Amino acid sequence: MSIDTRTPRDGVPEMLGRLAWQLAWGFARIFSIVALLAAWEILARTGTFTPFQLPALSAVLERIWSDAVSGDLAINAGLTLYRALTGFAICAVLGIAIGMAMSRNVVANWFFDPIVSVGFPMPKIAFLPVVILWLGVYDTAKITMIVVDAIFPVIAATVIAIQGVERELIWSARNMGASKRELLHQVILPAASPQIMTGLQVSLPLCLIVAVVAEMLMGGYGLGGAMITAAQFANSTSVFAGIVEIAVIGYVLIKIMVLIRRRLLIWHPEASAPATA
Amino acid sequence: MQGPAQIVVDQVSHLYRPPRGREVLALDAVSLEVRQSEFIALLGPSGCGKSTLLYLIGGFLPVEKGEIRVDGKPVGGPGPDRGIVFQHFALFPWKTVRGNVLYGLERQGMAKAEREKRAMEYIELVGLHGFEDSYPSQLSGGMKQRAAIARTLAFDPKILLMDEPFGALDAQTRGLMQMELLRIWQRTPKTVIFVTHDVQEAVLLSDRVAVMTARPGRIKTIVDTKFDKNDPDIFKNKTFVEKVDEVWNLVKDEAIKAQGKRSA
Repeated sequence: MSIDTRTPRDGVPEMLGRLAWQLAWGFARIFSIVALLAAWEILARTGTFTPFQLPALSAVLERIWSDAVSGDLAINAGLTLYRALTGFAICAVLGIAIGMAMSRNVVANWFFDPIVSVGFPMPKIAFLPVVILWLGVYDTAKITMIVVDAIFPVIAATVIAIQGVERELIWSARNMGASKRELLHQVILPAASPQIMTGLQVSLPLCLIVAVVAEMLMGGYGLGGAMITAAQFANSTSVFAGIVEIAVIGYVLIKIMVLIRRRLLIWHPEASAPATA
Repeated sequence: MQGPAQIVVDQVSHLYRPPRGREVLALDAVSLEVRQSEFIALLGPSGCGKSTLLYLIGGFLPVEKGEIRVDGKPVGGPGPDRGIVFQHFALFPWKTVRGNVLYGLERQGMAKAEREKRAMEYIELVGLHGFEDSYPSQLSGGMKQRAAIARTLAFDPKILLMDEPFGALDAQTRGLMQMELLRIWQRTPKTVIFVTHDVQEAVLLSDRVAVMTARPGRIKTIVDTKFDKNDPDIFKNKTFVEKVDEVWNLVKDEAIKAQGKRSA
């Protein structure tokens, strides 16, 4: 439980003091990012690097703005997001289903366990040529690459989460008359949900990463494809614009996941803990 | 003995098979009879199999050797006729106090209006009025156990199985909860099997105390411990003090044996 320090007796000086403290703290949290961006602008402006090696941040932001106005940004970012999120949805549904099957069925466990053991640590990008041969270079191939890469954390988290459900919880439910089928969605899944959610939070950034990499290697529209095209035309401002766009999108996606987690796990002790990221 | 026994444990043995290592004989030919509306405590050193015996009666573990009958029928699995309360509460953390209590009533197929009314009745009975919409993570240990007791009492089991229910609570809360349990038990009389390793708790609460031996668990002896539960000065009562001493001496030898086995 957090202690609320606001008391009605606080006067104006206390409130101002707290506001200043909050501002300072808010600035401290983003200080490293601000410093990095400032250094970027200064290094580019002072001519330490040529505009080709490192275009100025202001020039990059201008490029992002003009892409936004022309609609290119919406098309490219939209396509990348569409692929990443479609892949993520498949990872979530399929990954949780496979993890559940592995936990509850000996045959499923016997079949999938070696695949997960070998597949989880291997660099799945090695399958890219095969995927291109079989599925081409369009959305199907890109989303397949995303699923192949980002499904493993979901499967592993689901298996571990279900294994960790306390037997007393299951016994309690059985005691109150839950059937074995009811146990799964009424007890086991809710009890496992915090850890499954953690698996999803690992999977989502992977989906975005693979989406961009697949776009870079397969070409076409999308943020990754646009960056490779820009590089081929020696357009370094657009390349850096792509980097900034991907960073912002990744950050926003992760924040949204944290909000969803807090909403879904309102009952969990962590929900009342102070935010960390 | 008044009337036939409600619960009959007949020559029950149980092998505990850890995932790794040798199997252990947890219970060795245990026999026990419990009458209707009786409050019996299972007392013994830790590791003597008293919780295992409770889980077997509850139907959570399969009876492999011997037989357990409840109301003449052999136990074949868990059922709402035997309600259990665990040491670590086992509340559903994603449900509020009310949601936890309602869960069992929903499974019994009770009509909505009736189960809402019933749930609030039992939440009030255990003194959690005002906390019905709290999640377990927002409650203290004692309140969690009150909620767990309300959840189990609400579906009206004939038999209450309590597995060291106050073992995770601090001494003061434990004392209050013991009084509370007696009050509730006197209002809704049920057959209670109460597992504990606390001698005073066993003598205070129960009609009889079954003292178990160190592993492999057997019933060493059964001591009658009927007292006037409403006597506020029971702890100063001479016969009570002597009874606690008598039972403690019975358990002490077993506790020493259990210690010896563990360090050996």
